[in-house]
Amino acid sequence: MPEDESFDLAGCLDLVRQRDQAAARALVDHLYPLVIRIVRAHLPRRVAEEDLAQDIFLKMFTRLEQYQGAVPFPHWVSRIAVTTCIDQLRAQKRRPEFRWADLSENEADVLDAVMTNENDVEVGDALAARELVHKLLDQLKPDDRLVIQLLDLEQKTIAEITALTGWNQSLVKVRAFRARRKLQKLFHELEKKDQR
Amino acid sequence: MNPLDEKWMRLTEAARHVEDNRDTAAPYGFATRVAALGLAPERVATSLLERFSLRALGLAALLAVVCFAADYSTVVGFFRGETTNTDDPVAEVVDLAS
Repeated sequence: MPEDESFDLAGCLDLVRQRDQAAARALVDHLYPLVIRIVRAHLPRRVAEEDLAQDIFLKMFTRLEQYQGAVPFPHWVSRIAVTTCIDQLRAQKRRPEFRWADLSENEADVLDAVMTNENDVEVGDALAARELVHKLLDQLKPDDRLVIQLLDLEQKTIAEITALTGWNQSLVKVRAFRARRKLQKLFHELEKKDQR
Repeated sequence: MNPLDEKWMRLTEAARHVEDNRDTAAPYGFATRVAALGLAPERVATSLLERFSLRALGLAALLAVVCFAADYSTVVGFFRGETTNTDDPVAEVVDLAS
């Protein structure tokens, strides 16, 4: 949620509906932190975050008349942001192959620590762990990737994911199951390669 | 929990330790640009060509169908090799010549 509690969102929206440029600028400034966090979390490869954020805001302005106030406005914008990101991910049909040889030294160490179960991943390796997680997530279908990222990285509940994506709970669970199965398969393959 | 699931969970737990300290304020000029684009008046007046070309195409296709239907027997007769019974002097000259 945007941080500025004193911001008069309802008044601003009224002015934007009357095509007030200053109000529109204020609205964009107010919602930018919320939108950019979603964009950064789900940014597809080779897409500039600012371009994606701009697309999201333009969609918001185009659909503003459809906003009925059933959900808080920031939630409504979050949903536009998430669906825009997922559309971008779907547009990237080719997914890069996951190969052990492409991992950096740190990433390989982290993977090794996870696979052998001997050591915990050190906090200092968190960045490498995150890179590794994103490389693994890149192997999933965009919808499955989104669900597993929201569940496991952002620790959202199924209900929150349902609200964000508009998918029903069963669909979210099916996608999470499918994603975990694919991740298991990837880990199996990596284990086999590790043992050679 | 499945051991592989456990590995994934350990990995994501480590990944969550990364703090994103990047600035979340809108870059300079972003809000102005997006607000201007977002509130830009919709293009109401389209060119005449844009407006009528598709309708003209549809109308032309309809006229072609009507013409074909109206002159169906002549067209079919032509393909069957029947000579047309006509008073057209040019057709008569062509007929005599052949």
